[in-house]
Amino acid sequence: MAIEVYTPTARRRVDRLDAIWTERPGLLGWLTTVNHKRIGLLFFFTSLAFFAAGGVEALLIRTQLAGPGLGVVSPSVFNQLFTVHGVTMIFLFVIPMGIGAFGNYLLPLMIGARDLAFPRLNMLSYWFFLASGCFIYAGLLMGDGPDQGWFSYVPLADREFSPGLGVDFYALGLIFNSMSTTATATNLIVTTFKARAPGMSLNRMPLFCYAQLAVSFVLVFALPALTVDLVFLELDRRLGFQFFEPANGGSTLLWQHLFWIFGHPEVYAIILPAMGIATSIIPAFAQRKMIAFPLVALAELLVGFIGFGVWAHHMFAVGMPTVTAIFFAGATLMVVIPSTIQIFAWTTTVAMGTPVFATPLLFIGGFIALFVTGGLSGIMFAAIPFDQAVTDTYFVVAHFHFIIFGAAVFPLLGGMYFWFPKVTGRMYNEPLGKASFWLAFLGTWLTFFPMHIVGLLGMTRRVYTYQPGLGWDAYNLAETIGSYLLAAGLVLIAVNLCLSLVRGPIAGPNPWHAPTLDWATPSPPPEFNFPVIPRVRSAYPMWDADDRLDDRRRLEDGELLFDAGHQMPATTVRDADLDEILKLPTESASPLLVALPVTLVFVMLLTSHYIGAGLCGALALVALAGWHSREPQAA
Amino acid sequence: MTSFEAAGARPRSLPNGWWGMLVFVAGEATLFGCLIGSYFYVRLQSVHWPQGGIEPKGVLVPIVLVAALASTSIFMQLASAAGVREHAGAAVAALLVALVVQSGYFAFEVHDFRADLAAFSPHDNGYASIYYTLLGADHAHVALGLLLNAWVLLRLLGGLTRYRLNALRAVTLYWHAVNVITLVVTATILSPSA
Repeated sequence: MAIEVYTPTARRRVDRLDAIWTERPGLLGWLTTVNHKRIGLLFFFTSLAFFAAGGVEALLIRTQLAGPGLGVVSPSVFNQLFTVHGVTMIFLFVIPMGIGAFGNYLLPLMIGARDLAFPRLNMLSYWFFLASGCFIYAGLLMGDGPDQGWFSYVPLADREFSPGLGVDFYALGLIFNSMSTTATATNLIVTTFKARAPGMSLNRMPLFCYAQLAVSFVLVFALPALTVDLVFLELDRRLGFQFFEPANGGSTLLWQHLFWIFGHPEVYAIILPAMGIATSIIPAFAQRKMIAFPLVALAELLVGFIGFGVWAHHMFAVGMPTVTAIFFAGATLMVVIPSTIQIFAWTTTVAMGTPVFATPLLFIGGFIALFVTGGLSGIMFAAIPFDQAVTDTYFVVAHFHFIIFGAAVFPLLGGMYFWFPKVTGRMYNEPLGKASFWLAFLGTWLTFFPMHIVGLLGMTRRVYTYQPGLGWDAYNLAETIGSYLLAAGLVLIAVNLCLSLVRGPIAGPNPWHAPTLDWATPSPPPEFNFPVIPRVRSAYPMWDADDRLDDRRRLEDGELLFDAGHQMPATTVRDADLDEILKLPTESASPLLVALPVTLVFVMLLTSHYIGAGLCGALALVALAGWHSREPQAA
Repeated sequence: MTSFEAAGARPRSLPNGWWGMLVFVAGEATLFGCLIGSYFYVRLQSVHWPQGGIEPKGVLVPIVLVAALASTSIFMQLASAAGVREHAGAAVAALLVALVVQSGYFAFEVHDFRADLAAFSPHDNGYASIYYTLLGADHAHVALGLLLNAWVLLRLLGGLTRYRLNALRAVTLYWHAVNVITLVVTATILSPSA
């Protein structure tokens, strides 16, 4: 039951909110927007563009490997393709799609807020994301892209063995990208703690928001390790520091430790938004509450936490002391516990409910199948001798694609279908949706499952080509066919959603009878989200019909409207008691004005114009000083 | 009507800006955790420390300096408390004292950093590289804190609003964190000679 407008009084109140919150139209409006939904859409389309680029790179890689001795691309281009493909999918697609697009758009709606806690910081994080992505791709387009693999091990990445600018595009681009991700994560954390609707105590918060909270914490605490590592790398490469030079007291393994202290939690950061989407879709299509809600919430947080204690299982082959390796093997086994809790909760909820296997739920079913398969191959790596035997083979590639593509991306695709009616106001085409699922699902299995076998047969990852007669040919051909099948499934999703945008039937506010507050708004939601801030008494507020009727009454009575400007209530951290009325900042060019000189700082650093970089940094500080030249409370 | 009144009664929980700063400093603390971890990782793999016969730093001066910097947490907290009580003058005075001490600390540290550079280069070995990076990162955070303090001070000279109070409380938290970080960084740097 959405908060709908039935009377002239209610209409007047909503019109007033419309006048207050509506941003300027056109391109200028998009450049200066601070609205979380618009920024979410910007993240969505930008990360989708990077996904397309990463997909084309994947297809080129697979085409090159379709048969032995092929020369579709040159070895140098091949190295750049697999490096940029990895960087793109992790840093420019899955993470920004998970928190930048889905988190940005949906989290405030789910907790009953009008925007994020820091709207201008939100836009700044988008500009940083866009600029860092373009920065990384500039290298590839100039033919000097990163070519040392996504984890960029030293000494290969040192100046001596990688003399071009490729590694610098990678290192500086990722430092820049980290700034964006950290800003988004900070915003989501503070919003989750401080902007929940009155009554939405922590135990009533949607599981999607727990997942977003967990991923945000993971990113805030994991990304500094990557930043430190990349700064060390740049200092070594550009200024002759000795961090990774064993002959002068440095250590090459220092790179690996720092990288994986970041890298493994990052895997969970990739999958946590997917888990959050699964916990949104399953109750809606099973039409029942999630089984073991508190355990699932705890499991989402635990996945993030335990992820910090397993990094060295990526390094079993480097010759660590046995006791260290055993500790990390044990910690790796522990991750199974929270993951399994969630799998049981998801499957039992579906089994105990009255499931409707529409496209979004099919994608979640696919996700669970792929996650279990990837998890089973993942747990094998805790067996140290096995790990040492298959390290750097295609078995590893198979495992992490089941997780990073299958488990992380399938829920994103399901989520696109699920929230398409909310975002656009129209329904998608169901038969086409199901066809796209089966194409993508079968394509995923055909692409990645044979990689286990060729890995066990000895095919190492990142090889440009291979000799015939090694027993790898048929598997590789099957993988390549699978990749095109998968691509066809993804294209079909895009076609379906584009056609439905124009021709789809009108959706209404809550076509799925879903339980969370995002479905309380009209479809698409207005700029202020909620005409009255909803009151919440359970974790399934849309199934509390009395409360939603009460929203209509309060709209009529003018209660909890907050319509004296860009207002939003702040609530207490644990119990979400109404605490303060915030005046949020309005649309502004400041984020763009800060982002431009910061981008130039990175360009100057890349081209070794250090004084220029300093000047641009100073310019950014000046722009930052003008950020709130007019204070929000005085606006 | 003042901005305080416009925004309603004084809230019970801390402002969003403070929470945002808490998350930021938590991330920065992790960054220093990684730097210090790297310091000890390189050190544990080294037969001699500091490497290359570099003389360890003297203990007394850095301890006095870091104690002086740590004392500014008191003034920052006083400024914040005065702001909460809406005593703008007292807040400005306490902030000014903190800024003077912090600036003195920074000036001395920059001088010391340059003197170190004359003695040994970050290119010399792993110790020199991590020494300058760790110290440089800490000094950069102090410099950022000075800029933040100066900005808040300028704002407060125009009167106290809720926005400025929130900024003051967030910057106070930042300085508490930077002071603790500086304490740990100094202890790390001095540890070979302890």
